[in-house]
Amino acid sequence: MDFQFSIILESIPTLLEGAKLTWIITLLGISGGMFFGVLAGLGRIAGTEALGEKPHGVFVPISFLIQKISGGYVETVRGTPIIVQAMFLYFAFPMLVKAIMDLERFRIEALTAAVITIMFNAGAYIAEIVRGAVISVDKGLVEAGMSLGITRFQLISHVIGPLALRRMIPPLGNQFIISLKDTSLFIVIGVGELTRQGQEIMASNFRALEIWLTVAIMYLIMTTVLAVTLRTFEKRMKMF
Amino acid sequence: MANIIELKNVCKSFGNIEVLHNIDLTVEEGEVLVVIGPSGSGKSTLIRCINCLEMITSGELLVDTIRIPHERNRVRQIRLEVGMVFQQFNLFPHMTALENVAFGPHKARSVSKKEANEIARDLLNKVGLAEFENKLPGQLSGGQQQRVAIARALAVNPKVMLFDEPTSALDPEMIGEVLDVMKQIARESGMTMVVVTHEMGFASQVGNRLIFMDEGRIVEEGKPQEIMKNPTSERLKEFLAHVKHH
Ligand SMILES: Nc1ncnc2c1ncn2[C@@H]1O[C@H](COP(=O)(O)OP(=O)(O)OP(=O)(O)O)[C@@H](O)[C@H]1O
Ligand SMILES: [Mg+2]
Repeated sequence: MDFQFSIILESIPTLLEGAKLTWIITLLGISGGMFFGVLAGLGRIAGTEALGEKPHGVFVPISFLIQKISGGYVETVRGTPIIVQAMFLYFAFPMLVKAIMDLERFRIEALTAAVITIMFNAGAYIAEIVRGAVISVDKGLVEAGMSLGITRFQLISHVIGPLALRRMIPPLGNQFIISLKDTSLFIVIGVGELTRQGQEIMASNFRALEIWLTVAIMYLIMTTVLAVTLRTFEKRMKMF
Repeated sequence: MANIIELKNVCKSFGNIEVLHNIDLTVEEGEVLVVIGPSGSGKSTLIRCINCLEMITSGELLVDTIRIPHERNRVRQIRLEVGMVFQQFNLFPHMTALENVAFGPHKARSVSKKEANEIARDLLNKVGLAEFENKLPGQLSGGQQQRVAIARALAVNPKVMLFDEPTSALDPEMIGEVLDVMKQIARESGMTMVVVTHEMGFASQVGNRLIFMDEGRIVEEGKPQEIMKNPTSERLKEFLAHVKHH
């Protein structure tokens, strides 16, 4: 078996292009995922004492509705494969829009579809992480905050949030890494991310060992960067 | 003196189980009311109803000038006027002692950060913890944590302080330091206080009035010394005999 180091060197520029795209999809995806995740995570426990004052009057049915919508989102995403979600968004969704809204030229860029898929997909898992962390905050601390006469927003942003965040970091790190690796599935909708670039070089030179080894190392470097960033963040927080 | 707290025919249920039955109670401004009673008799529930951590199921509650349930949207105002100290201290573990105490005035009363820190330093000094301001709760003893918690509640400048068994979670040698702080508050500031406690010494020294609760009702009420000397109900006799041996 001959291992040619030159193959690796030759493939690096193209693979880096792919890695760059992987990185962009991941960062945009998990940023959006954090947004949807916090929203849906808090939404699933809307109106419970985990978030302070229990609602009354019209806010009771409103909280219930928010809970159901958030729950429906999380369960839908968790119950379907990400690859199906990407295919649906890229191929099926534009057809739906065309049919319903009579927009002849509506289409979604593959890259856009990839970013949105990661956003919604990661968002659902992050929602569960957020929910779990918020529920685990000591009820006594929530009551202590309430008894000071602060608003619900202050309670969430200064008491519940910071305490929950500390418990969220390890599982969030895990989810970020999963999302990064999930971007390799977008090979099916033709996004030129790292796995796709590797696949294309492979198809032209058949150097499987060199190419997949390089691709694997590039993924490993990116996941390590994510993990180290989160660990640094965790260390910088006041622990107790 | 005017009543600062009034409960009229208050009932509280959890699900189908009623745990407070038709409670009538008034607390005057500047009064120290002591609440005693066996476990499960509804002492915590009663005082948690006063700052609306539990919403009363029926009846009427008046705190300061706010009427519940009619003015349910003003619960936050009630909490600004009613501070609470918990059995488990419940200090925010991610904040230093100073941050814990400054938090209330800064956020709830919109006092500037600088001014809130001054209020907090002043209060920490009062409870004898000036040199601990940069410690996290986890680095303090139980007695110290409870004193910080008292300072935290006072910092919001309430008219009433509620204490729910503030010394029950403490090692015996730390009970005194917390009770001393509470006595000091009662004597120096004339604060209205509602104190759930089994510390009968504290009750007789500081309390103006004592209520004995049993099974969700106020069974006896009167001057602490008199009630302790001449309990009328069997339940209270039993209870006092039990408490004295601890
Ligand atoms: N959140 C709740 N949900 C259901 N039942 C509750 C709740 N809080 C209290 N109870 C019940 O209400 C009754 C009164 O409880 P409460 O905590 O007020 O008693 P207590 O006098 O403070 O007792 P202790 O001395 O043990 O603190 C008990 O039977 C208790 O089980
Ligand atoms: Mg209790």
